[in-house]
Amino acid sequence: MRAYQKETNLHKTIRILFLFIVLIFILTPFLWVILSSFKTPAELSQPTSIVFSPVPDNWINVLTGNIPINFVNSLIVGFITVAVSLLVGLPAAYSISQFKTGGNTARFTILISEIVPSAVLVVPIFLVSYFFQINGTLIPVTIAHLTFVLPIVTWFLIGFFDSVPKSLEEQALIDGCGRFEAFRKIVLPQVLPGIGAASIFGFVLSWNDLFYALILGGEDTQTLPVAISSFDTFRGVQLGEMSVAILVSAIPTIILSFFIQKRLIKGMGGGAVKE
Amino acid sequence: MIKKNDLGRRRSFFLFSYKWRMVMPLLILMFVILAYPLAYSLWISFKNFSIVNPNQDHFVFLDQYKKIFVDSLYWTVFRNTIIFVIVAVSFELFFGMLIALSLKRQIRMTDVTRSIILAPMFITPIAVGLMFKFLLSQQLGFIPALLQSLGISINFFGTHTALITLAFIDVWQWTPFMVLMLLAGLESLPEEPFEAAYVDGASKWKTFWNITLPLMQPIIIVAVLIRALDGLKVFEYVYAITRGGPGNATETLQYHIYKLGFGYYRLSEASAVAWTVVIIIMIVIIAMLRGQMKGEKAR
Repeated sequence: MRAYQKETNLHKTIRILFLFIVLIFILTPFLWVILSSFKTPAELSQPTSIVFSPVPDNWINVLTGNIPINFVNSLIVGFITVAVSLLVGLPAAYSISQFKTGGNTARFTILISEIVPSAVLVVPIFLVSYFFQINGTLIPVTIAHLTFVLPIVTWFLIGFFDSVPKSLEEQALIDGCGRFEAFRKIVLPQVLPGIGAASIFGFVLSWNDLFYALILGGEDTQTLPVAISSFDTFRGVQLGEMSVAILVSAIPTIILSFFIQKRLIKGMGGGAVKE
Repeated sequence: MIKKNDLGRRRSFFLFSYKWRMVMPLLILMFVILAYPLAYSLWISFKNFSIVNPNQDHFVFLDQYKKIFVDSLYWTVFRNTIIFVIVAVSFELFFGMLIALSLKRQIRMTDVTRSIILAPMFITPIAVGLMFKFLLSQQLGFIPALLQSLGISINFFGTHTALITLAFIDVWQWTPFMVLMLLAGLESLPEEPFEAAYVDGASKWKTFWNITLPLMQPIIIVAVLIRALDGLKVFEYVYAITRGGPGNATETLQYHIYKLGFGYYRLSEASAVAWTVVIIIMIVIIAMLRGQMKGEKAR
């Protein structure tokens, strides 16, 4: 610690107290939803009761209902979206990073396509899927998710490829590797952690989307956020089950986030325009 | 020795070279899923197409836009969205900076604290919306019950309070994003100016105001820009909690488009409103970039 970084005891106390309050603000809603998920309808009508005998009824009802199907739908959409993004994004990101293909225009185009509002794209995707009679299936939902997952994943990958030293690949070529082989065997392993982080991030984005899934999906193909949104018919009886559904949707992404937080910072600045 | 340029060069037409072949799938896919829908959407907005009335499908050019601009509901929705974005983003920046500065000095338990503080931004927004609808509900919510025991009674979803409540739900969920960006910025700051300021005996407040903030300006602009653009698209909280009510007090642009397009199936009008959002976005980006360039010149 440098001299200028020293803080007085008073400052330190205030700072820790402040962080503590922030943590309380963040954790209270979670804890309350967790408590509510174990309450009976009668107990739910007493919001401040903390001591009660927990019952697993809500969890059993939700997990034997439709929610597991919605969970699988969300998984399918997320996996396919990420798989296509990697398949298409990896070689492109590599080329843009290593050979400066398309120069800054390519980087800029990828970044700007992240900004296209979903409200503009949803009507054409809806009409086209209607035309091909695939409306209400998971296909248009997956395509719609690709519109925002593909650019951000590619953007992250460009950043990660930028940090691979060029000499590695050149050495592989001298040693007699083919160009594609050099890419696959030498460069790819170097960016593997980055690929993992980008995939998880893309998956979380797809998992969390409501707007596209609500409009383009059908009754039988609801993803988890769509299914959760239909709990909104506010009856005291449903509150316990809604709490379970909230937790089922939130816990996987929170756990995944622990793995990528550090790389996320790097990824965001990583693909920035280079000379 | 193989030169760098040889890697990507081939004698045939440039688009068939190795480096372009690797980009081609991305180009084609982006064209199909982004460029084509974008153009198609603009085309729809110039017509008067509606699914419930398939016979009327004419080219009317700017008529939809003219209709929108004299619609008082559009301007209410526009105002709601702007208020939402300004309230949400300014509080996110304020709290984000405070938390980032506090976290930077943290030495013990950094990983745990950071993980918890960043968690809200990874939850699906509809779940966050429902969580707060429940938490703030007048009859069943924990917070009104707590406030009542202190003798305070607030209706969080009244005509004048609902929009602000929604903005603060956004603050709860997205301040972590600000923290993430600002913390990355703070940790990459050079040390010399701070040491110099310390030697000169500058106060902490002055150091922050005259050194930290100016150095952080580019990252603050990017973070605010990302949050503002995302805020313009707010949908889930409105859908989960108020459905635009009471009256039209919380109807935002994205929800308005959803209602027009997929509640009433007036697809042309919905597309036209969506394109006004594109125009707003372009204005915001240009203004921000200009601001940044001016800042750079001044330095």
